[in-house]
Amino acid sequence: MEKLAATSAAGVLLDLSGVLILLLAFACLGSKLFNRYVAYYGAQSVVLSFAAGVAAWTFHSVELWILAALTFAIKGIGIPLATRRLLLRRLALARDTAISTGLSTSLIAGGALTAFAYLVTRPQLLPHGVVAAAVVPLSTAVILLGALAMVVRRHTVAQLIGWLIVENGVFLGAITLVATFPFIVEAGIFLDIAAGVLIMLVFVSGITRELAEASAAELRGLRG
Amino acid sequence: MAGALVSLAAAIALLAAQVHHPPLSGWAGFLYVDTLSGFFLLTVAGVTTLAAAGSVGYLSAEEDSGRFTAFQVRLYFSFFGLFASLMLASLETGNLGLLFVLVEASTLASAALVGLEGKARSLEAAWKYVIISSLGVTIALAGTLFLFYAGSALHLTSDQRLTWPYLFAHAASLAPQPLRLAFLLAVVGYGTKVGLAPMHTWLPDAHAEAPSPASAMLSAALLNTGMYAIIRFLAITQARLGTTFPHVMLLTFGFASVLIGVLFMVRRGNFKRLFAYSSVEHMGIIAVALGFGGVLGLYGALLHTLNHAIAKAVLFLGSGDVSQRYRTREAAGVSGLLTAVPVAGGALLLGSLAVLGSPPFGLFLSELTIVRAGFAQVSPALPLVLLGLLAVAFVAFARTTLGMVTGAGPAPPDPYQGRAAHWGRVVPLAVGLVALLALGLWIPAGLNTAIMHSLAAIR
Repeated sequence: MEKLAATSAAGVLLDLSGVLILLLAFACLGSKLFNRYVAYYGAQSVVLSFAAGVAAWTFHSVELWILAALTFAIKGIGIPLATRRLLLRRLALARDTAISTGLSTSLIAGGALTAFAYLVTRPQLLPHGVVAAAVVPLSTAVILLGALAMVVRRHTVAQLIGWLIVENGVFLGAITLVATFPFIVEAGIFLDIAAGVLIMLVFVSGITRELAEASAAELRGLRG
Repeated sequence: MAGALVSLAAAIALLAAQVHHPPLSGWAGFLYVDTLSGFFLLTVAGVTTLAAAGSVGYLSAEEDSGRFTAFQVRLYFSFFGLFASLMLASLETGNLGLLFVLVEASTLASAALVGLEGKARSLEAAWKYVIISSLGVTIALAGTLFLFYAGSALHLTSDQRLTWPYLFAHAASLAPQPLRLAFLLAVVGYGTKVGLAPMHTWLPDAHAEAPSPASAMLSAALLNTGMYAIIRFLAITQARLGTTFPHVMLLTFGFASVLIGVLFMVRRGNFKRLFAYSSVEHMGIIAVALGFGGVLGLYGALLHTLNHAIAKAVLFLGSGDVSQRYRTREAAGVSGLLTAVPVAGGALLLGSLAVLGSPPFGLFLSELTIVRAGFAQVSPALPLVLLGLLAVAFVAFARTTLGMVTGAGPAPPDPYQGRAAHWGRVVPLAVGLVALLALGLWIPAGLNTAIMHSLAAIR
């Protein structure tokens, strides 16, 4: 089993990327502009591809290099570009008015969730010495923050971004925590995300065409 | 349609072959079929066959009435085929990571079916479905990751550490804390697909808004695929952590689902939503059965899965017939079905009785098995509560469906031109009801051995 100590240069770089990814998730949670959501998500994905690159360099793994390139191309550039072009610009979305809590409240809740993530995935609870241990709670925290963004935001586009942040959190875990995760599975996950974003873009445009406001808060037809 | 029949035949052959042979596996465990997968394959393939037969009549009627364009019909059949094959594929893999990939892909394919009508309501349902299910399944992926991590001390290759039979064989040396987290996340994540409360909120919307044969697929095939994933995780967790922790979790989610399902069935309204809440209830019953555990509980859970799948397929196909004739999905808008449309009325009446667990049908037998398991394995209080909830469900459900089939109502126009389409509607209903009746009276020896072998594989 290959090991990656937290003190090595690669371990430090991985931890650093993990922290940056968490900060970008917080930035997204604390923002009100659709443009910013997409920008923060894109930046987060670029950092993620950097983390994948570091892992690939450490483990000399061709497959991880491919994943890093895919992450950069699809998540860092492709998805933000498509969201901007097909949704934000065409639907003229600027300010997100459908947030159920104030920004400060959601940031405080995000802080609590991060603390919770550290509580449940304390390094001493996990098997020792596989990877930089700080990454586990970081990726758990990113998952929780993305889920929180989906809960407090009612707009369909914001929920889509929230789901993508959750996905990034899982990917951070998959790439760094378990650098040996089978390639075919990771590639399949990629395919799923790309297809998922595509189908969600279709739904969001369809909902916007049918309802004037594409906010999930307006989606009140189905109840009970 | 032909593809569905072939897959059913293949599933039966596979199950028959599996009973007496070691598990089939290939490509480093990416392909893995044992008796348990064979049993679920049989269920899903059977439902697919019924729903594919029902789709032909339903879609041709929708196209004739101008509600669907030819393009939408083509889209429907493409996604229907994709959805069915992805579900069958997800039952045939032993790699838990690939299982996630295929389950998520089947979510996307079925979301396209839900949103196919393109109206505000169906798009809303499809959005709710795709976003909640995707999030849920992503949580299950996090669970899979923790399971992978739990096995990091094992001397296995990375492919093997995600492959079910290896994990199960080495379960005793998995790290307990990550495994606990993995099971929790897997139950919550795949439980979203199963429709366990409180993650069930997408389910009634998606079932009500999808075209009826697609609803049958969702309720009778997709939910079972999620349950299959949970059973796989359950087997590993039981082997390492003992039965208490997983059983308490499954009982909690199971009883919550039965309670929520029953409470919402009391409300009288859209009959497809009624059937959907009944699915929540039945998935809860299966989770409770898994939570009771023991041979009886697991046997009951598997038998109930098969019975519920057939009964729900019949109900949704019958309801498609009704909603096409009356152009409404509200129970209040339909009455006198038994005299006006004897076939659909009869199917709805018998299907309701079956799904409520009335004696001559298969669900009576499986629910009885589950309750017996409860008395044998845990305190008598829990099965008694379950029986009480089932009684409430009986009254609530029957009140609505009896109101629809009895009384006198105007006969609606026949939406089917030509006899072929008409027979396409009658045959799957009849086949499903006969199968239910047969399973209630007699369990074929082959099926019995298959279930017992599946139990041996996971205990």
